[in-house]
Amino acid sequence: MRITAKAKTETRQRILDAATGLFKTEGWHNATTRGIAVSAGIAVGTLFNYFPTKESIAVALISESVEGASDEFPTSHSQENSLEADLFTLIWSGLAKLREYRSFLAPAAETIFSPLARASEARAGDAIRVGHLEIMEKIVTAHGFPGPRSAVAVQLYWTLYLGVFAFWAADESPGQEDTLALLDQSLKLFVSTLGIDQGRGTNGRQ
Amino acid sequence: MDVNKLLAALPENDFSPTENSDWAQERLREIFADLAPRAVPVGSLHRMWTLSELSAQIALAYLSLWVRQRFSGEEAAQRQAVETNLRVALKLLHRLAYLRGAMTKLGQAACHVPGLLPKQVAETLDHLHFDAPPMHYPLIREVVRNEFGKSAEEMFLGFEKEAFAAASLGQVHRARLKSGEPVAVKIQYPGIARTIDADFRNISALLFPMKLGKDWEFTNAQFKEIRRMLNQEVDYVQEAESTRLARDLFKPEDGIVVPRVYPEYSGKKVMTTEYIQGLHLRDYLATNPTQESRNAFGTKIYVAWQRMYYAFMPYVDPHPGNYLFLSDGRLGLLDFGCVSHYGPDEREIMKLAEKMAFEDPSLTPEVIRRVCAVSEGDPAYPDYLQMMNESRDWTMEPTSKPGPFDFGDQAHFQRGVDWFARTVSKKTTRANPMYVYWNRSTFGIKALLFRLGAKVDVHEVIRQERNRNRTN
Repeated sequence: MRITAKAKTETRQRILDAATGLFKTEGWHNATTRGIAVSAGIAVGTLFNYFPTKESIAVALISESVEGASDEFPTSHSQENSLEADLFTLIWSGLAKLREYRSFLAPAAETIFSPLARASEARAGDAIRVGHLEIMEKIVTAHGFPGPRSAVAVQLYWTLYLGVFAFWAADESPGQEDTLALLDQSLKLFVSTLGIDQGRGTNGRQ
Repeated sequence: MDVNKLLAALPENDFSPTENSDWAQERLREIFADLAPRAVPVGSLHRMWTLSELSAQIALAYLSLWVRQRFSGEEAAQRQAVETNLRVALKLLHRLAYLRGAMTKLGQAACHVPGLLPKQVAETLDHLHFDAPPMHYPLIREVVRNEFGKSAEEMFLGFEKEAFAAASLGQVHRARLKSGEPVAVKIQYPGIARTIDADFRNISALLFPMKLGKDWEFTNAQFKEIRRMLNQEVDYVQEAESTRLARDLFKPEDGIVVPRVYPEYSGKKVMTTEYIQGLHLRDYLATNPTQESRNAFGTKIYVAWQRMYYAFMPYVDPHPGNYLFLSDGRLGLLDFGCVSHYGPDEREIMKLAEKMAFEDPSLTPEVIRRVCAVSEGDPAYPDYLQMMNESRDWTMEPTSKPGPFDFGDQAHFQRGVDWFARTVSKKTTRANPMYVYWNRSTFGIKALLFRLGAKVDVHEVIRQERNRNRTN
């Protein structure tokens, strides 16, 4: 029997929905690919045709949400905002898109973004990282810091981003207000290093 | 103890920082340069670590002072004490400025607790006016969304993205309601309010050595009062209620305006009030106002202060930034976060002290017993009696004779400062916690009127306000 593209898309979405439900109810560690397949009403073998691992499902969930936020960002990017404000909007709008998955994202992110991640997971995680860093690069350049960024600056940014991400995933403060403060302070730190990164000793145009 | 560290911390031999302000200015510049790129520590562990380090530095500085005093004459020892206090003050300034947030507020409030900190430390901390870090609009938008479930754009017809004033641990933006009224929207930096209790646990650990002192019970009660007031200051729901109560106290003929609160646009972290246009003290003074104008505004400031006092809700933060001088001669009162609300005990003490001051000086021993818990047989009583008499004389000096009192008289203000210094040096600092903020209020109002250079008929204002209080 020939499976249409539409059917493939529907099955893939069914798996993502089932996984989201199980991650929320069972937790990241307890949810299994077998459980997800049963919940989605498909055979385990079929699931593996779409997603080779549990991590790849989480990566798909994160990618789609973050890509959505990134697609929306250029339209809301305005020169009247400071560099910190634009980076804040980029990161916070991405996190807002992931709010639905917050309860299981911390352990999933540890696996996906860890330097010890298996090659397939790391590759999937890399796509998210590269996509996000490209947008960061465009924003920073638009604010008067011509690229490319040094490896140290990029690593600093990504480390801060992951720190904020992990903090947000477990943040129980009202409205995640502690994450708002942490993100604000993290970006102040990052922006303050940009001038040094380029050997100018200033923060450039903001 | 590492001897090398101790030696390194020893003050310089030929140095007097009080006579050498350049030295202090230079240290300040270094501190600010160091602070600029540093992020505010948000984790309690980091904050605690910073405080522990601070504690060790202070201990080291005082230990070095002790060592030097063992080997020097009295005059040199006195000079070194001043110097060490200043060094400690600068270290505290550095740390508090770094911690910012609630710790900064604590630093400011601690200046008003006599005896808690040496004079030089208190004076240096008093210059500490760091506020919460400025917020850009995307952050503002999220704070507003957290509070109301929708963005500022959805809530208001217009919202200025740039703040026009700093507020207690936040900032204020102009906006316009959908009905057209111009409003001021005060927004608090996220997460600040919840740090207060954690910061007080830290400071309590820091002050542990003081627990051995005989006045610890009073110091502790005063700290609890500061903690209570700081928690109140960051609760905008409470401030909205205090603003509403204050607004009810004034009639149009008083010429004193308290902005209306819009409760539907206000919450715990965001408060929206009527926007009042006027000048702050510095800008008003820059217009070279006439003496009559200064006197008229000074009288309104005093009336407002007395009105709230007799309503058992004294305005205990008479900071210049909380007053607006309107072009039509009216006075605007802003920011009611720091208002005491006296309960039955405080009201009773207040009435007793009033009666002592205005009618019956023989009540002084009773006031000392109630306020300072010192009875006539106590060895410390003579010192407390002197402190109370001096305090009463200074406080009542403006009312001593009918007619205008010149608050621009530097000698009067200096007498109050001298009294405060004597209170600290004699350690007659036991007092009911209500006096932490009342003392701050008394000094604040006199400092404000001193800067304004106003002559106010205090005798008449108090007569009217007391009569008003009796008839209400």
